[in-house]
Amino acid sequence: MVLLAVDIGGTFTDVVAIDPTNGQYQAAKVPTTPSRLIDGVRQGTQMALHLAGAEASDVERFVHGTTIGTNAVLERRGATTAILATDGFEDSLEIGRLRRTRMYDLFMDAETPVFLAPRRRRRGVPERVAADGSVVLALDERGVVETVRELKEEEHASAFAVCLLFSFRNPSHERRIRELIRELDPTLSVSLSSEVDPMFREYERTVVTAFDAYIRPVIQGYLTELTRELDEIGIHAPVQIMQSRGGITSARLVAERPVSVLLSGPAAGVIGARHAGSLSGLSDLITIDMGGTSADICLVQSNKPLVTAEGTIDSHPLRIPMVDVSTIGAGGGSIAWVDPAGNFRVGPRSAAADPGPACYRRGGMDATVTDASLVLGYLNPDFFAGGSLRLDVDAAHRAVEAFGMKLGLSTIEAASGIHRLINSQMADAIRLVSIRRGYDTRDFALVLLGGAGPVHGGRLASELAISTMVVPAVPGVLSALGLMVAAIEHDQVLTVAVRLDSAWPESLEATFLDLEAQVAARMKADKAPPNETATARSADARYVGQAYTLEIPMEGPVSTRALAAYRDAFDAAHRRIYGHAGPEAAIELVNVRVVQSWAFPSFDLQAASLPSGQTGPRARQAYFAELGGYVRVPVHRRDELEVGSQITGPAIVEQFDSTLVLYPGNHAEVQGTGNVIVTATSGANR
Amino acid sequence: MIETPHQTLDPITLEVVRNKLDAVADEMEITLLKSSHSAIVKEALDASAAIFDAAGDQVAQAAASPIHLGMIIPAVQRFVEKFPTHTMRDGDVYVLNDPFDGGTHLPDLVMTMPVFAGDRLIAMVTAITHHQDMGGRSPGSTPVDAREIYQEGLRIPPLKLYDEGRLNTTLMELISRNVRIPDVVIGDIFGQFAACHVGKKGMLSLAERLGPDTLATYTRELLDRAERLTRQSLEAIPDGTYHFVDYLDNDGVELDRLVRIEVTATIAGSELTVDFTGSDSQVAGPINCVPASTLSAVYYIVKVAIDPDVPNNAGCYRPVHVVLPEGSIVNARPPAAVNSRSVVVRRIVDCLLGALNQALPGRLPAASNGHPLVMSMGGVDPADGRTYVTAEIGAGGMGARPTKDGVETIQTDTSNAQNIPAEALELEFPIRVAHWRLRDDSGGAGQFRGGLGFEKRFEVLRGAARVSHRGERHRTAPWGLFGGGAGASAKSLLLPDGEAPVLIPSKLEFTMHPGDVLDVWTTGGGGYGDPLERAPQAVLADVLDRKVSVSSARIDYGVVIEGREVVEEATSALRDELRRKRGPITWRYDRGPLGRE
Repeated sequence: MVLLAVDIGGTFTDVVAIDPTNGQYQAAKVPTTPSRLIDGVRQGTQMALHLAGAEASDVERFVHGTTIGTNAVLERRGATTAILATDGFEDSLEIGRLRRTRMYDLFMDAETPVFLAPRRRRRGVPERVAADGSVVLALDERGVVETVRELKEEEHASAFAVCLLFSFRNPSHERRIRELIRELDPTLSVSLSSEVDPMFREYERTVVTAFDAYIRPVIQGYLTELTRELDEIGIHAPVQIMQSRGGITSARLVAERPVSVLLSGPAAGVIGARHAGSLSGLSDLITIDMGGTSADICLVQSNKPLVTAEGTIDSHPLRIPMVDVSTIGAGGGSIAWVDPAGNFRVGPRSAAADPGPACYRRGGMDATVTDASLVLGYLNPDFFAGGSLRLDVDAAHRAVEAFGMKLGLSTIEAASGIHRLINSQMADAIRLVSIRRGYDTRDFALVLLGGAGPVHGGRLASELAISTMVVPAVPGVLSALGLMVAAIEHDQVLTVAVRLDSAWPESLEATFLDLEAQVAARMKADKAPPNETATARSADARYVGQAYTLEIPMEGPVSTRALAAYRDAFDAAHRRIYGHAGPEAAIELVNVRVVQSWAFPSFDLQAASLPSGQTGPRARQAYFAELGGYVRVPVHRRDELEVGSQITGPAIVEQFDSTLVLYPGNHAEVQGTGNVIVTATSGANR
Repeated sequence: MIETPHQTLDPITLEVVRNKLDAVADEMEITLLKSSHSAIVKEALDASAAIFDAAGDQVAQAAASPIHLGMIIPAVQRFVEKFPTHTMRDGDVYVLNDPFDGGTHLPDLVMTMPVFAGDRLIAMVTAITHHQDMGGRSPGSTPVDAREIYQEGLRIPPLKLYDEGRLNTTLMELISRNVRIPDVVIGDIFGQFAACHVGKKGMLSLAERLGPDTLATYTRELLDRAERLTRQSLEAIPDGTYHFVDYLDNDGVELDRLVRIEVTATIAGSELTVDFTGSDSQVAGPINCVPASTLSAVYYIVKVAIDPDVPNNAGCYRPVHVVLPEGSIVNARPPAAVNSRSVVVRRIVDCLLGALNQALPGRLPAASNGHPLVMSMGGVDPADGRTYVTAEIGAGGMGARPTKDGVETIQTDTSNAQNIPAEALELEFPIRVAHWRLRDDSGGAGQFRGGLGFEKRFEVLRGAARVSHRGERHRTAPWGLFGGGAGASAKSLLLPDGEAPVLIPSKLEFTMHPGDVLDVWTTGGGGYGDPLERAPQAVLADVLDRKVSVSSARIDYGVVIEGREVVEEATSALRDELRRKRGPITWRYDRGPLGRE
């Protein structure tokens, strides 16, 4: 019996094979194959099975994280999509909300995703439903058929997004349109806004529905192909897919609402990091995943990753719930440069992987953060990225030296300056991300991920007054592990727009029960046992007159008392986040929501063996400003450290896919959980 | 190391200081937006935070909207004049809102808190918030027909809100008594206080790390560098005097008289002087500007047209001079009404873009939509007896750029407010939106086309609705450049039930009843370059998208389209003929109804 988790990243496809009886896992890393992603999946799967000594027929569960939808959007490879809207509102997608994010850019492009359906493929259909759901104008069915035929024949539309006004109140016209389209041509794909995103605000709903239509054929095609390919190699287990909000579901259900996986890229890594934290008993975490070009930041509170109701794709806001990850332009490849005023700048421009830092010797001449790390002695040139790359120390020195000369700085000054600046920028970004969500960084532990996260973590913790850091056993395959430990999860939301003081408990209860029935049907389809399934109800509410809402749990069944408790909880949350509340002011319930989840039986993940292969000396010179410069520090190898080992900084711990720098004042302990816990004793405050 | 006359600066510390100042301003801004009660702050983001040094120079600003750029500078100058820095004490907090004493319009209250390291003044942290109400004759304190500031609300000169930590309860009670929603207003004042407090903490921690002397040295250097960068960019612009005139439809009181804005921009070496001589005298209606308002338009232009990459601090304004004739619409004297000054701010931006276009041909766009349509609708809903007020914020198209078309329907220049979705409107109010779509053929024709405006129809379902309609560019049009045509002017038409249609002059209050229909059309952006040079395939794409009609393709662009194809030969023949008839393009600006020049 074996469980497989497959995570496709930009560079590598990671496959982890787990034996659920003892939690032991094997990890395989193969290059991602962009022209046909399934090739990499197949290769990695076979390699992982081989490492685990398992047969294809032993696979019980196949969990998959994929950015295929995201890639289709970025590369504009989606379906030829048409939008059907209430007559007179066919331009919602293009009119948008008018506000722009690039306030000072006279050459900005439209921020609405018009590419999904240019105006020629957006048509109005005569019909009108009023705000209360009553029909003002009946649907012109003949007109619909005529319009669809035209769009199909003249514009070659193959995917239809149907977004009528107030369809969340009365979906009958949208449903009828789907029937009419299917009667005309059953091969046309249809996305209904009342199913994809039954919430008010027509622009936002249109965008989500149009993205759903746009990526539907791509995702469906991919999943069909994947299933066939797995069948071929003898894997018949159910395929499960990571969704944007951090839960998984079956491939079959994803095919029904593909937009739910569109922003799933960062979710698995955060779920993996949360799991690593929980192994060490830490439930409030800030995860920082620092790679080559950027760093992803996410807050986990009470063991739950923060979920935002609206994400973005390719700079377009997209109203689907996603793990609330913020990305900043700080990575190992971030370039140091001098601006026209002679200022010392680092990032956000990046040398990325190609040409990469100067020390990669792929033609990069600019000094980068990684080059500085090498000059400062933090990295082992003979053992970087799993030994896949030999770094050129001289090239790093030359690049940093040349950069420093522009500012009259020595090579050392320039290198340590690059580190000071990138650390200070990242710490500011983490602090602002936290404050914006109403949290204080000092209440959190920092989980250090990515190749570069553990290099910088100690400095970030000290700037943020954070005392505890977690370095998971194998940060490099954490996303794949996240897939393995993610729960099956489904949610359903509906705009009700009713004042709390005039809400009928019975009618609200009926609405919740209806949503629960919809969600339960999907949980059942995913074979989650109902008696072990957790249900969470919530409602988004606001003070009457405001536009922004807060999501507050609502206990069931709905009663007058439950509504009073909800009211108190709303005021309390408003006070916590905004510093004030208005208990006497009327509030309105805008959306109601049901989330159900079922977690698989847990197992203690144990790397069967930590990858090894480190070479190089057991001590080297590394730079620590507070110690007056270069000092000789011990270099430890993660795979050789025994549980319970303690290390005091300054020191360096090298492992397969990352390097942990322990700064003076840092103290590390290797746990039985596989985590290394670093505490900062000298926790400098802000 | 960088040599300066005084000491050697470390470039790493300099960059750390620059980042920290920005981060502290951002943190203040987040606190301000979060802790505010009013919908205006939360949804229109009408609040900003800034940090000033001990000399009163702005060293960092987190501007949520471009109209806030540099807007707080005159207020802090007034505070420093009235409360000289040697008299400032830890625990002091200053406030003002009087437009004739450092403010902009009465709803904008500026608050400044001096920050002391020991007994040494190291910074002044400042927050500005647009308050939901400041008293006066109409809710929201922006009466469209005000003729004097006394009708607009409570005027607060530079005063101490806190004196060494003691709250000025007299002032607080006076404010409470003069506003319609004291809880909200007082709550937002404390929101500003919370933001200043966060700024103070941030600046103290920075001073502690570096020492106040070092901090001061480095912030001065940052100002000097921003100045140097701006001067470098100005030097790259050819010396000369550039002139432009543009107009507003009216001042809201005298509906038939255009209001003139005149700008003479002189670039001499590394200095820019903007002279408003020739602009109209202050007007009876509430669109007058005080210097803080006028300056924000100039600062916006410095940022977008001169150099967007320069850090936003007082250094970049040092090489910029303005001449503001006393008693004119850009520098009104009391008791002028000023609440709707943003329309003039927008037209100043148009004038400056028009003038600088002569210095920077090929770098700046044709005119954008001119001003958002701002409309409030309110009444009593007979269904539940509740009084309601809602606002419509609409925008037209963006002007075409030298290399690309303008964006359709978007906020431009100093404006950046969100609209209200039709579903949000109809869920809450007895109003229906019958249609809301792009306005065909509204973008100025050009090699690059101006962005389209929109057309929208409102119906009142129940009860009577009082409508306050504030539009612009009804009588003029967003101008096109270098052969590009003007964008379509705005238009509003009231169709009373069973009566003849009434054309709405841009600023008017009127009442709608059930059965009445209001149609509005927003402006298109100006076009850029010769429309006869526009790629025929681009014209075809616009025709297929119904953004340009087949007849406009023929008349304006000389492109003959049949079915879904461009007829190549007929197109080149028609273009030759149109070129011959038109002759060479000898004008720079096409102002639509006001002609070419």
